[in-house]
Amino acid sequence: MKIMNDNSETVFSNYGIYALKDDLELLLPNTSIKFHRISDNAFSYFRKNSEGKIVEKIIPVQSNDLKIELAPIRPLNHPARRTSHIFLKFDKNIHLSANSAASIFVHCPIEIGIFLIHDSIHDSLDWITCNPLNSRFGLYGSPDTGTLCKYAEVSSAIDYNDSNSYFEGVMQIVLENTLSFSQSISKVVFPITDNILYYEDSKTIIDGIKITMKKRAAVNIADVNTTSIETDWSMSPTWEDKTANTTMEMGLE
Amino acid sequence: MVIEILQSLSEMQIVGELTVLTLLIGGIIMVGGVIIAKIAKLLFHKYYAPSLPKDTAKNISKLIYFGILIISFLGFTSSQGIDLSGIMVAGGIFAVVIGFATQSVVSNLISGLFLIVEKPAKHGDTIELPDMGITGTLLDIGTFSSKVRRFDGTVTRIPNEKFFTSNIRSLTLSTVRRADVIVGISYESDIDNAILVMKNEILQTMPFVLQIPEPEFRIEELGDSSVNIHVFVWHPRDDWSHAQPILLTTLKRALDKSGIDIPFPQRVIWTGKD
Repeated sequence: MKIMNDNSETVFSNYGIYALKDDLELLLPNTSIKFHRISDNAFSYFRKNSEGKIVEKIIPVQSNDLKIELAPIRPLNHPARRTSHIFLKFDKNIHLSANSAASIFVHCPIEIGIFLIHDSIHDSLDWITCNPLNSRFGLYGSPDTGTLCKYAEVSSAIDYNDSNSYFEGVMQIVLENTLSFSQSISKVVFPITDNILYYEDSKTIIDGIKITMKKRAAVNIADVNTTSIETDWSMSPTWEDKTANTTMEMGLE
Repeated sequence: MVIEILQSLSEMQIVGELTVLTLLIGGIIMVGGVIIAKIAKLLFHKYYAPSLPKDTAKNISKLIYFGILIISFLGFTSSQGIDLSGIMVAGGIFAVVIGFATQSVVSNLISGLFLIVEKPAKHGDTIELPDMGITGTLLDIGTFSSKVRRFDGTVTRIPNEKFFTSNIRSLTLSTVRRADVIVGISYESDIDNAILVMKNEILQTMPFVLQIPEPEFRIEELGDSSVNIHVFVWHPRDDWSHAQPILLTTLKRALDKSGIDIPFPQRVIWTGKD
């Protein structure tokens, strides 16, 4: 992925699996990542993001080389993992006539994960967001009973190829109105933990959702279900920020 | 040999039918009971407690421990041939006397039971007791008292009766919480512009502030020296430290960047000739 920056051209690293023999530098928008071999059995990891935050780690390895994967992940971890729901606010309302259906594509924010691969197991090493300003919380409902969500204002996309590299993936939303009157839809709230992400080069697509507006007893409801994509793009490792710091009895952490 | 020793012990009477042998058996039952109670408590803590809420785990642990001790005690008394019915009658009278003498202790015990049943707050909740001026994390609701760790690191013990009858403000029960501050701008400043720059700065630099509901700005009063604006922002309940303590700093930075005055108290004096 190349982006023109003033007179220079910046080439960003693609998603994918990297096998490290020695040093490796990955460049992402507003973020730089460096792996450096410090001994036969250890690498160092350095990451600096747009907010100037630096993360450094030591990675002991059993074999001589290190295998990592750079992949898009669900946008649930920045600034901190607090919820599994996402609140997508459409930039333009979607008008749906009575007893009709429509399918749209939207840009959905993503984060990027760095995984260590060993014995076909993916261990999360770190995660980042290239667009921290679009990584915020919102509340759906009242303060006492509402649902805390990651909040994003989203625009419509043309198709699955319209992904905004490193910042947003493309998600298909199928809307079905089974009610006898028209509906104007401005937002959707759903748990995104069932949606899998797929990547190719620097592009990302996300499992879609189907929203069915229907009547249940005397109440009009919107039923949201995940719909899987059939694609030959690579599947991103499923992961959210669950890494635990284990406190040891000797007071180490 | 062993049988002979036991026989001799059974013949050594202490009081009435109580012999050294029955006392030894009773002792073994009690010691065995204590050991079994401790092992059961240990196994429960190791294998089952981690998957239960801390309060529930603590209560079940106490139930297991004291339950086994009571059963052991009953085994001990029956092995000694002690008739408990007489003790029950005497105990009833004794309990009334003790009850009057130790009203507050009993009151704390009963309040503790009610607190365990009602659960106005659970272990780890951040609570405020406005009547006592205490704010902190609830560590434990015990038999007679509860413990709250205040934000300065000290632990306050509160008798259960006081805890039960006081107002309890839970700071972690709702999904989100609101932080608020008042900031004053000069009368010459454009209020709408000041609100706009403050809102932009909050949304850009405070990632834990919610976008929905939006930050809210209310003109609190036209003060002596400034127009006072009350600013409200919502944040996830666990992220108070990322909102309230830095909100005023953020607002001042926004106003400074835009050249909007935060006035000092001032008084305009007109002389008679003017």
